Amino acid sequence: MCPRGRPGRAGRSVGRQGEPVTGRVWEPGLSRRGVLAAAALVTLPVLTSGCGKGFGALGPPPRPLPEVGVLTRAISREHLMIARYQAVVSGFPALAGELGPLLAEHRAHLTALHSRLLPGAKPAPVPSSGPPIPAGPADRAAAIAGLRAAEDRAARALLDSLAVASPSLAQLLASIAASEATHAAALTRPGVTG
Amino acid sequence: MSALLPGAAIQPAGASGVAALQAALAAEHAAIYGYGVAGARLAGARQAQALRDWDAHQSARDTLVSMLAARGTKPVMSATAYQLPFQVRGASTAVALLALLEDGVTRAYLGVVAVTDPAVRSFGARSANAAALRAATWRGRTTAFPGLALR
Repeated sequence: MCPRGRPGRAGRSVGRQGEPVTGRVWEPGLSRRGVLAAAALVTLPVLTSGCGKGFGALGPPPRPLPEVGVLTRAISREHLMIARYQAVVSGFPALAGELGPLLAEHRAHLTALHSRLLPGAKPAPVPSSGPPIPAGPADRAAAIAGLRAAEDRAARALLDSLAVASPSLAQLLASIAASEATHAAALTRPGVTG
Repeated sequence: MSALLPGAAIQPAGASGVAALQAALAAEHAAIYGYGVAGARLAGARQAQALRDWDAHQSARDTLVSMLAARGTKPVMSATAYQLPFQVRGASTAVALLALLEDGVTRAYLGVVAVTDPAVRSFGARSANAAALRAATWRGRTTAFPGLALR
């Protein structure tokens, strides 16, 4: 059975010692914050109980636009790229100076992609259950070559996804792909390849 | 006299993309002029690089002229003279000008990326990529969002 919102009950809040504090929420002259808190308490059980005519009455959720898939895949790839750079920098601390700016640009890519998904959202940390963080190769040249190949693949994947993106997202993806192509080129510089 | 570096706004685009292609052509005209100015201040390997890039811009200009002609549109002409954003007195200002020019070309091609026709969009992305690579070479460092006003 669904709980009904009853102002008398739901309006209670709990005092510091755990004792119910009653008789405040519905008094005249009540603060707006109090009313909002009460509304939240009334609404929450209805939303969370999952019974009655809850969300089911709304029909199946709308299918996500194809561009949402493009965006989430781009975000996953940026997470993986950041993890790759971090693995190489931790294996070869001498490369931190050279790789730091490229890593910072990948973090900027991630923030920009996230902002398209959820306006104002901050990038989530690399999920531990996500794609495996590659172990840093033992050889510095191999590590750089791995990053270079990853940048090339990432740029190509973005370019391949442009067709289903909206014009403004396509511009962002193309710009990020161009940035990654410049990273791949920068990773061939003698200072980096050692 | 036209400004060498057109405004930062990315052109609105439609399905055919004539306006965006014209903006890209205008940016290529400006780049060809600017490489002529800057190339004269460079020597050795950097001048050779500038000459290769100049060739690339001329090829790109010809491609855009053909694309616009195929759409029944008269391609925009080059201006007779361009206002430089600063005086080019030596190699360092020449290189700085080339980096700025390539930023402008990248931005113009991102306008082409906004076109919905997949082939035109793909052409815009490849061209933006090439310009961003040249910009990074002249600047000596990469940027996170070539052609976009993001940081």
